[in-house]
Amino acid sequence: MKVYAYCLVEGLDTLDAPDVQVRGIEGAAVRLLKIDDFGVLVSDGESDAFPLTKESAIAHAALVGSVLDKTTSLPFRFGTIISEQQLRHYVTTYKPALEKSFAHVRGCVEMDLKIIWQIAKTDQPPEKEEQGPGTAFLEKKRRELLGDERQAALKAELSNLLRKDLGDLIRDEQIALRPSKTAVLAAVFHLVERANIRRYQEKVQEIRNNRPDLKIRLSGPWPPYSFANIELEFKSQFGVS
Amino acid sequence: MSSSFDQIIVSEEWENTDFSLLETLDHVLNRGLVIAGEITISVADIDLIFVGLNVMVSSVETAQEVLRRRQMETKAE
Repeated sequence: MKVYAYCLVEGLDTLDAPDVQVRGIEGAAVRLLKIDDFGVLVSDGESDAFPLTKESAIAHAALVGSVLDKTTSLPFRFGTIISEQQLRHYVTTYKPALEKSFAHVRGCVEMDLKIIWQIAKTDQPPEKEEQGPGTAFLEKKRRELLGDERQAALKAELSNLLRKDLGDLIRDEQIALRPSKTAVLAAVFHLVERANIRRYQEKVQEIRNNRPDLKIRLSGPWPPYSFANIELEFKSQFGVS
Repeated sequence: MSSSFDQIIVSEEWENTDFSLLETLDHVLNRGLVIAGEITISVADIDLIFVGLNVMVSSVETAQEVLRRRQMETKAE
């Protein structure tokens, strides 16, 4: 039989807590599966697939979110259906990496910023209409390289800007950028200790007030989705590196 | 860049718009622990099966792209 896995948890011995949701996707019952020192919230499933619907995705998020105040969790990505044996093998095999991940996110939540950042329009040479295939290829590569450099520079600038105000409140940070010619849409994920949530929110409001050129949306607290994954060791799976 | 992105940028209501559903989907579909193995997700009754170490459905957008490719391949045959 396969199980649908929601999240790994630590220090949770029972689901008999008032705020812990005990129904998962499609109303399935949720149980706590103990593996080594960890717990895994799972639902038993009869099939290998399930519908990708708004409701099932929300149910996954709600279940994982319901333990947020109780314990530290490492959420599984939506759609993780696996045999109990495979799940036990995974947890046992990657126990050191999972412990490291737990240590990293313990006591923390994820706070997300979506930022629209208006930037000065850069001068770009007009595109030549007629190019041979070789020239066009090299020109495309050149643009890609310049784009990569620009993204790295923008990412560093944004990170420095945010760390000036939020630096002492964040344990870790991830930034993803989607630049256009005149603006950058940035998704920023911060790992923040629970005790610092209110200060973090206040600091973000200060940034909003001081930087009207930045349009900032704040959401959270979330379980640490963006900081949960572990590096899988290719060698351990296939015997080659 | 898509026009929808530019529309978002000029929208004054962007900061106040309720994106909670989109943000929830972004979290559960694109982030979180990934187990090496097989994940099957059914979109519009068509099973999408992704097998591999780090290869899987990453988002609805990806799933839709796969569906589009499948349709094009079917038409070409």
